[in-house]
Amino acid sequence: MFFWRIQLFAVFVQYFIDKCKTAEPNIVILFADDVGYGDLGCYGHPTTSTPHLDKLAANGLLLTQFYAGSPVCSPSRASLLTGRLPPRTGVYPGVFQANDSGGLPLNETTIAELLKTVNYQTGMIGKWHLGVGENQKYLPTNFGFDYYFGIPYTHAQCPCVTCFWPRDSCYGSCKPYFPGCPLFYNDEIVDQPVDLLTLNEQYANAARDFIAKNAQEKKPFFLYYAFQHCHHPQFAGKKFRNSTSRGVFGDSLAEIDWSVGQVIKELKQQDIDKNTLVFFSSDNGPSIQWKTRGGVAGLLKCGKGTTYEGGQRVPGIAYWPGMIKPGRSMELASTLDLLPTIAKMVNGILPNVTLDGVDMGPILFTQDKGLRDTFFYYYPQSRQDKGVYAVRYHQYKAHYYTRGASESGVENKDKDCRPSAELTWHNPPLLFDLNQDPSELYNLNSLPEYNVLLNEIHQIYERHVTSMKWAESEINKYKDPKLEPCCKPGCKPFPSCCQCHKLGHSQSLTFK
Amino acid sequence: MMLLIKLFQFMLMFHAFYSTNSNPSKPNVILMLMDDMGWGDLGVLGNPAKETPNLDRMASEGALMTDFYAPNPLCSPSRASLLTGRLPIRNGFYTTNDHARCSYTPQYIVGGIPDSEIVLPELLNKAGYRSKIIGKWHLGHQTQYHPLKHGFDEYFGAPNCHVGPYDNKKQPNIPVYRDADMIGRYYEEFKIDKSGESNLTQMFIEEAIAFIEKQHQTGEQFFLYWTPDASHSPHYASKSFLGTSQRELYGDAVMELDYGVGQILGKLKELQIENNTFVFFSSDNGAALSGGAYVGSNGPFLCGKHTTFEGGMREPSIAWWPGRIKPGKIVHELGSLMDLFATAVDIAGMKLPADRVYDGSSLLPVLVDDKMNKNKTIFYYRGNELMAARRGMYKAHFWTWSEGIPTLHLEYCPGMQVEDVTTRNLTNHMAQPVLFHLGRDPGEKFKLKLNTAEYKKGLQFIMEAVIEHKKTMIPGQPQLNMCDKGIMNWAPSGCETLNKCLHGPPSNPFKCSWPV
Repeated sequence: MFFWRIQLFAVFVQYFIDKCKTAEPNIVILFADDVGYGDLGCYGHPTTSTPHLDKLAANGLLLTQFYAGSPVCSPSRASLLTGRLPPRTGVYPGVFQANDSGGLPLNETTIAELLKTVNYQTGMIGKWHLGVGENQKYLPTNFGFDYYFGIPYTHAQCPCVTCFWPRDSCYGSCKPYFPGCPLFYNDEIVDQPVDLLTLNEQYANAARDFIAKNAQEKKPFFLYYAFQHCHHPQFAGKKFRNSTSRGVFGDSLAEIDWSVGQVIKELKQQDIDKNTLVFFSSDNGPSIQWKTRGGVAGLLKCGKGTTYEGGQRVPGIAYWPGMIKPGRSMELASTLDLLPTIAKMVNGILPNVTLDGVDMGPILFTQDKGLRDTFFYYYPQSRQDKGVYAVRYHQYKAHYYTRGASESGVENKDKDCRPSAELTWHNPPLLFDLNQDPSELYNLNSLPEYNVLLNEIHQIYERHVTSMKWAESEINKYKDPKLEPCCKPGCKPFPSCCQCHKLGHSQSLTFK
Repeated sequence: MMLLIKLFQFMLMFHAFYSTNSNPSKPNVILMLMDDMGWGDLGVLGNPAKETPNLDRMASEGALMTDFYAPNPLCSPSRASLLTGRLPIRNGFYTTNDHARCSYTPQYIVGGIPDSEIVLPELLNKAGYRSKIIGKWHLGHQTQYHPLKHGFDEYFGAPNCHVGPYDNKKQPNIPVYRDADMIGRYYEEFKIDKSGESNLTQMFIEEAIAFIEKQHQTGEQFFLYWTPDASHSPHYASKSFLGTSQRELYGDAVMELDYGVGQILGKLKELQIENNTFVFFSSDNGAALSGGAYVGSNGPFLCGKHTTFEGGMREPSIAWWPGRIKPGKIVHELGSLMDLFATAVDIAGMKLPADRVYDGSSLLPVLVDDKMNKNKTIFYYRGNELMAARRGMYKAHFWTWSEGIPTLHLEYCPGMQVEDVTTRNLTNHMAQPVLFHLGRDPGEKFKLKLNTAEYKKGLQFIMEAVIEHKKTMIPGQPQLNMCDKGIMNWAPSGCETLNKCLHGPPSNPFKCSWPV
């Protein structure tokens, strides 16, 4: 009897300990591909259907001055995971290909590695795009992720054939000379070529499984969920094929939106939504070259590949019921800031390197002024001698160099965005007031009242340029077809022989 | 059995009749019409600035209409269409002095709203409504066009834009009226400081609140047409709003208007009449982009005010009616300010007069009952020319034009050049209309390729409606052809009492020049 009482007491105490102790918050980063500032309903797109994201924004904090670390994919993702600008990580110029020998340097510290030191379970689902390399040494599992499920680069680097339910082909060209898209489970290829029609659902199921397992085991977790969508070529399965009036881009975006809904649903079902920070963003601006099959930057100038606002200002939504007050914020912030923000949240130790990010805590949790007052824009082909193209300082932006980009379209309505707009040096730099003129139309640099400001910006520019230490380029390292991921190494005829279906197409992988 | 059913039907009818009579208060109607505010100026529609918390809340409590249009890319015709339910080409708010020219009602215009047009309050008054206009009238300033002669019971505001100040010699300052008589002039009794400081929006808000309270006390249903013009250049805001936004004076004006919307909706809630009041927020045309950086935003849309691209006519629009409209709804049905005429008539329990053509239909089916009408067509006119038409997701441009006045450096499409679309000169595409799919391409950037199956199908779909439209079109007498400096606001009624009558030149009518 006495013993029984003690046991009851112990259970009781344990219950209270569980209840009272602030559990370490879970962290979910949802990262879209090539989704522009103007692509979501809550960011003013008239025809997309993004009810789940709109709801996330309505119940969370919508950021209107949020920047990706780079206007293209690989460097932007490196920035997000390390809190460091592309020159520092060596992830430049451009993006990794399937046959690249380089990757995110192994000595870089990612958010996942940081969280491992405080005992988080870490998982990554989706598009990695920070290299595969020899012996697959650059896969996520080598960067602090306990678990990986996804294609390690864009599906545009595979010979994509079927993109739409039931058997409709993909638009435009992919890369037929690469092996079929490999779907990795940790460091093993479990499906090749992957079935794009079910891929999004497989990712969402894997995300739910990962969340559910850790919730049940009461382990704090970090999930980095990077969609293949809405990068060219867009794809959509049965549920979302022809589901929106926005055409294929809308369908692809609807798959993201549904997946976001799935994640939130699982967090609620596991009753951990009030203990989880969810952050949604995109890797860069819209790929306007694909016209109606690309995204849009809303009122911002140009898109992907450029250092104009449309290239790097992206949607940013932070959601954490009870912790983040719903609303809108005009505070300046960036994907670079996620690592320091998370470090602060979990009392983690910041890596002993130069960071380009700052803690977003004041913006997120206390509606205070942000700690960031500058942002540096690097063109994808920036070189050490022409590094920073533009500097944002408070509401002002100075362009030292401007250049269009093929991703922003040869027919862009704004000729400054087209690839025909060559690299141009501006002295004094072009100056725009982004609060007044977010479309970067009205240059202020000739007005005398801005002289002092221009000088101030120039000092910031000089200081940044002289202190920047450029790492050796990882993307310029050698390429070799042997490095292209193939589930049957050495098979012939390469690459079409790279075929494995260890999962079966209709079956999704459950998290083990 | 049949008899029983008949009897039951009769009882139902009797009951319906009886209950309307026992509850004389029909739903109130408030139309809030902004001036030159763009689609992209609201937070909920993607503006990066943080200026519209009240409108954003209004949208989350009501229905956001994403595909809602002004009937014209310029103010006077747009406003005349809202209040008559008919296109400018029918109600006379256009010119034939030149081909495809926009025209409006500056104070030297001779014309105005013809007596033959039925203005919304004239109809609503028959249903027992009391009507008030607060703000900008813009349907003609001569005595015969006074709002009180066209159905409004009360008036606080001005007949023209608040442009000025004038010297009262070459041009008089615009008068401000209370009901039948003027009570002062802009820049004189109603100050608009050079710095942009003015209390006008606050006055318009107070007038609205007072009117709502008064009507609530008398128990008489009301129609309030609230149309402050602070977002039209020269922009203004009251002292407490100056410098509060991050978009200078324009943003300050938007913030104050947003505050006004919040005050009015708040008052309805406070009086507990929100469930019995239909409120609609919109704007008269797209943001005027020709004013440099200090202007509104049309978000993702092409060009702005004056043009028949989406930026010229797509409007930020919210319907609000707690208890009747489901909160947070997003409505993609095509709509127009002219639908508000039919909607108000519907709310008043009346039918549209059968003696004339109406260009709008009631929005209650889609707003209240979720019944979407997919068969609507939007006709984009400049003056006497049908420039473009939209049906479903397809829009055809028959004529394109984007030129401002070269000498004035007015730029209606700054930073936007779509080949063969944003043509500087008026360009005829009748042989091969330029077609866009506004679902995939709301920004009108990527023309559908000619002779594709989709092009043919889309064009045919639009042309069915256009052919029908043209076949039955009987243009009204153009009202905006003649101008006369002798009839400017020299001596508006009531000027004697105030000792504010001025002497203008003798009447000398001339053909108005409409350069854009």
